[in-house]
This record gives sequence, structure tokens and C-alpha cells, in this order.
Amino acid sequence: MATGEQPPGQTLGDRLYDFAFKNRVWKSIFRSGYPNTPRNQMLAVATNVFLHLHPTRIHRTHVKITHTFCLGGLSFFLFLGLTITGVLLMFYYVPSIERAYGDILRLETDVRFGQLLRNLHRWMAHGMVLTVLMHMMRVFYTGAYKPPREFNWVVGVVLLVLTLLLSFTGYLLPWDQLALWAITVGTNMVGSAPILGEPNRFVLVGGFQVGQAALIRFYTLHVIALPLIAAIFMAVHFWRIRRDGGLARPL
Amino acid sequence: MAVSEQAQPVSGAVKGRQRRAREEELLVWPDLVFIEFIAAVLFTITLAILAVMVDAVLLDRANPAVTPNPSKAPWYFLNLQELLLHMHPALAGVIVPTVALIALGAIPYFDTSNEGQGEWLSTPRAWPNLIVGSIVGFVGTMLLIFYDASSHVRLYEWIANPGTSKFLSNGDLNPSFNGWPESLAFLKSLRSIETELNWPDALTSIPVGEKILRTDLLGLPAIPLEINVAKVIVEQIIPVSTMIGLPILLSIVAWKVGLAQTKRDHMILQFSGFIAVFVILTIVGTFFRGEGLELVPYTIYSHG
Repeated sequence: MATGEQPPGQTLGDRLYDFAFKNRVWKSIFRSGYPNTPRNQMLAVATNVFLHLHPTRIHRTHVKITHTFCLGGLSFFLFLGLTITGVLLMFYYVPSIERAYGDILRLETDVRFGQLLRNLHRWMAHGMVLTVLMHMMRVFYTGAYKPPREFNWVVGVVLLVLTLLLSFTGYLLPWDQLALWAITVGTNMVGSAPILGEPNRFVLVGGFQVGQAALIRFYTLHVIALPLIAAIFMAVHFWRIRRDGGLARPL
Repeated sequence: MAVSEQAQPVSGAVKGRQRRAREEELLVWPDLVFIEFIAAVLFTITLAILAVMVDAVLLDRANPAVTPNPSKAPWYFLNLQELLLHMHPALAGVIVPTVALIALGAIPYFDTSNEGQGEWLSTPRAWPNLIVGSIVGFVGTMLLIFYDASSHVRLYEWIANPGTSKFLSNGDLNPSFNGWPESLAFLKSLRSIETELNWPDALTSIPVGEKILRTDLLGLPAIPLEINVAKVIVEQIIPVSTMIGLPILLSIVAWKVGLAQTKRDHMILQFSGFIAVFVILTIVGTFFRGEGLELVPYTIYSHG
């Protein structure tokens, strides 16, 4: 459409390039041009809602793999992966003690890629606990919790707790012997607290023993309440990284 | 944000944040975005391969009437379940994790210095503190677990009785067997302090509810509270003083020998110790607690 503005002597490649990246549709989605110049590369980051978690330029030491091992990013990646596989798993799963176990069996045998889906969700969940713990160690040993990043460390500890709770609530859902008794042991630990322990355990389990009430509570916490809370804390966590000046650097 | 920093004039007042040299900077697109993309692809592939090769465990349908032996929490809580074997449940299940999380969150408010930022273990004594903290945490916890499992008793009996077994072929106790000395029976494990010593009845059942906290005088229901001093010592006083005392002792020794001099040194020492304790408790709880939570090798995959 813009052929009239082009200088003469264009190659076919230039024409295709213009056709692909200089049309109205492309420009309505991506405000900046194709990121092949420094200006467009910075605009690509700054004008994209997802990429603008990043600054446009960073210090060269921060892209060294051994500086962060990507652990925080991987934790977030696993959270996204768990959300996707989790939503797909919800298609096949009913949180009732009559149906839950059978649903998992059907998922594994009748649903195409069902076993793979469940395996992915399980390994990502274990992986996320590990990457979050290792991310905490990375931040500690690189001294990245020091002023002005004190509060973001606290947010990180909250996210660690939320990760453990997400994993713990998901543990009950297959409704097999492993699930039931792991949650029984775990919630009994809560119940052993002085004074408020037993009432807390009762609220969490929804009764005196792990049953239907516990299953629906854990399910609701697992698929909506805790992911939402975690997403909010993650937003704060990422925003604070930018506010506090990106990754910590030596003085 | 970086742009506005660049725009600011560099004066003496803002010396804390120096202007970044342009040549030390990279563009996020493509240099960082590309790395993130590669990391995501690698992890997707690794997880896909793992998910194809190893199936998630699914045991029999949940049955409240059949308690598996052992019953275990998820692996990341097995460190707490391991603690549960050695102290009062309220301590292991709630108080220790709560205090640990608060202490973890409070790290930046103790260690307020700016040294060692943004680089791996860059302060002078960082590595020695990490190594010492980890080893002390790891070995110390293992020794405590072995002590509570009476491993030292078995070791003593094995050394004191070369070639003889504790039981005769007909199942009776071997009379020539040198057992752990009776006078030291209270040192067999932590619990034996309560069970093997002759605690006077006056100490094992102090009727606090009836005699001291006289709530009935206020017209309230009486509290049925009886304190067993031996139990309190074994389940609460010894574990709490161990968990607080040993780290403090470690810090004092490290300070005296010049290993830990700054706050950051102590932080690295304590944090490394904490991580080591966390790891060893998780490993023992996961792989070395079998039937009846005895200290034996164990794997969940063995029965299915």
C-alpha cells in the first residue's frame, strides 16, 4: 500500500519486508517498527506490556547465566506452565470423593495425552518448589537482599510460602492413598499448634477428618484463591525489582 | 527508568548511583529476551522428556480405614515431619517453621550493610563461612538424628562384642553380651531422659490446673492441666535450647577464631547452616524413614 513512497530500485526482499511489517494491521498491534535497529529494539521492549517487565537496557553482567541461573524467571515460567496444564486438567476433573480418583484413572487411560498432562503438571510443581528455593539461595549468596531491596526479599519469602501451599493443596486432589495420608499428616501438624491449632485445622479440613469438605476446600484454594494471591505478590515482586533498580550490582 | 537516570545531571549529591557507561550496557531486546527464550525452550524440552519417561505416582484409591505405614507428608514438609519425631508436635509442626520463616524474612533487616552486593559470595570470608556453616549444619544434624535413633548404643555394642550376637540361636539374650551400661541408660536417646531416670512423682505430675491456675475461683471452668517436668524437658526445653544454642555457639566460635567478623559473615554462616539442616532433614525424612518411621532406607516406589 505504501509503494508510492518507496525510493526506486527496491529489491523483492525490501518489498516483502514492507508488506509484512509496514502495513496498518502490524502497526496497529506493534507500535514500533521491526526490532532491527537499537531504537526499535528499545521501543519493542518499552511498548509491549509483557516485555516491559524489563528495562530497555541492562548492565552486561546481568545477562551472564551464572549470575542468576535464570532461577527467578524459571520459577515464573513454571508458574505459567502449571497454569496452562492446570486449566487443561480441570476439564477432566471433578472434585468429589466419589469421582476424583476415577477421573484421574480416566485421565491416564482414556484421555489423549492425559497421562503426559498430569506428569507435566506434577514435575513442574516439584520443579517450581526447587527453583523457588534455589532462587532464594541465589539471592542470598549474591547479597541481592541488601538495601534498597529488603522488602522485596520479604515478598519473596511470602511467595515461597505460597508456592509450598499451592503444591500442598494440589497434593490432595488425585484422592489416592498418598494424597489422603500426606494431607492428613500435614494438617495434623497444623492442628498441633497451641490454642489456635485445632480450630485452624478444623477450618482447613472442614471437619474432623480429611473428606469431601477438605477436597473441595483444597481444590478451590488450589485452582483459584492461591494462584490469584500468588499472582498479586508476583506482580509486586517484579515491579519492585524494576523500582529498586533492577538486579543488584556491586557498589 | 534508565533513560531518566541518564537525563539527570551527575552531581556530588547523587554520587551513590553513578552514571552507567553506555558501553557496559546491553539492549534487553535481543540480548536478554533471547536468553530467556532459550531457557524456556530448554526447560520445556527437559520437562517434556521427564514427563514422557517418568509417570506421576498414583496409589490405590483413598481409604480412611487403611493407614499406610509409614504415612508421609509431601517431600518439602518431610523436614518438619522429621523434626516431629524429636520434639513436641506444636514445636516441630508450627512454632519452628513460623519462627524460621520470620527469621528468613528478617535477614535484610539484620544485615543492613551494603557489602557483597550483586556478586556471588564476594565478601572476603564468604566461602569459608559457607563451607563451615554447611558442614556443621549437615554433620551436626546427622549426629543428633543418630543419637535419637540410639545409633551410638548399637555402635558401642558392636565394638564391645566382636563376633558375638546379642541373641542366642534359641532367641534368648546372650548372657556374655556386653550391652550399653545400665547406669548410662538415660543417654540411649533423647526420650530415655524421661523414661530411664527415676523422676519423683511430684515432678512428673504437677497439677497446675488444680493447684496453681485456680480458674474455678473466678467462676470459670477448671483447666485440666498437669505438667510432667520430665516430658517438658525432653520435648521442649532440650530441643529449643539445641535449636537456639547450637547456632549461637557456632557464631561465637566462628567469631572467636576470626572466621566470621562482619554481620554478612554471620549471615552466610547461619543461612548456610540453615539450608544444610533443611536439606539433611528433608533427605532423612524422605529416604531414610521407613515403617514406623524407623531410621532405615525407604522409597515410595518400592510398592508400586
